Amino acid sequence: MSVSLKPLYLINAGISGGLFGAGLYVSQMVDPLKVLRFLDFGAMASGGWDPSLAFVIVAAIGVMFVGLRIAGKRARPLLDTQFYKPESKQVDLPLVAGAVLFGIGWGMSGICPGPAITLVAFMPQNLAIFLMTMFAGSLLGSYIKPLLQQRAPLPDGTAKI
Amino acid sequence: MDSFTPVTALIGGGMIGLASALLWIGNGRIAGISGIFGQLLPPAKTVLWRLVFLVAMIVAAFVAARLLPQIGAGGDVPAEMVGSPLWLAVAGLLVGLGTKIGSGCTSGHGVCGLARLSFRSLVAVVIFFGTAIVTVSLTGVVS
Repeated sequence: MSVSLKPLYLINAGISGGLFGAGLYVSQMVDPLKVLRFLDFGAMASGGWDPSLAFVIVAAIGVMFVGLRIAGKRARPLLDTQFYKPESKQVDLPLVAGAVLFGIGWGMSGICPGPAITLVAFMPQNLAIFLMTMFAGSLLGSYIKPLLQQRAPLPDGTAKI
Repeated sequence: MDSFTPVTALIGGGMIGLASALLWIGNGRIAGISGIFGQLLPPAKTVLWRLVFLVAMIVAAFVAARLLPQIGAGGDVPAEMVGSPLWLAVAGLLVGLGTKIGSGCTSGHGVCGLARLSFRSLVAVVIFFGTAIVTVSLTGVVS
């Protein structure tokens, strides 16, 4: 990345982050109870189920899908030298184990990482506890993940994610 | 607050999608929040844009709540945390650990991964939605 582009690079990151946080507020996904009412499929029969989260994710995917088509086959993004595309295509042990653990934590609290950060704007009670253990979990995961990959190496012998 | 809010859900979701598209087209980065904060920790390389992104998330939500208290989550967001401090500590640990090991969360796998038609992300999304739904059902945290 050339130095002259750096301010624009950071400004774009700021605009993107701002839209993301405001979107979490507008969609009410900052409210853990709202999220839990979607995950509470048991309430479908009684009419207490809230399908809003499905609308949030469908709209987000739809707009991002168009964005990806606009980026198309360009060799590089507007403000950097390369697209940082996720490299792994493998459904491996870390992916599955990680998704299971994340799902349990999300179901216990109604909080996934985006809202966890955004909730700092509203400082509900006990948020600091959640944030601290979330960061600790992420740090711990960076040590555990390579161990899981060693147990289940990819077919080509690499272990990259 | 009404329990079902399709209009603000679609608008807010569209904003999240637009945020993800801007970050991809401009900076070539996936807007996966677990990845963005997870790589603030050592051995981090590109910290500044991640900090700018995360601080902007917080500031924009704060401003939106004051400018638009009648839409979205409401000016003084209920944002009730569910469960005891110990319960939330365990939940936070699992969220941080799981998203790190599984390389993504609701935004990285759920929004960006599915929009990229990634099979890997589809598997992750089905699993974490599945275990979250089962967890809510088993723990009865909502009711």
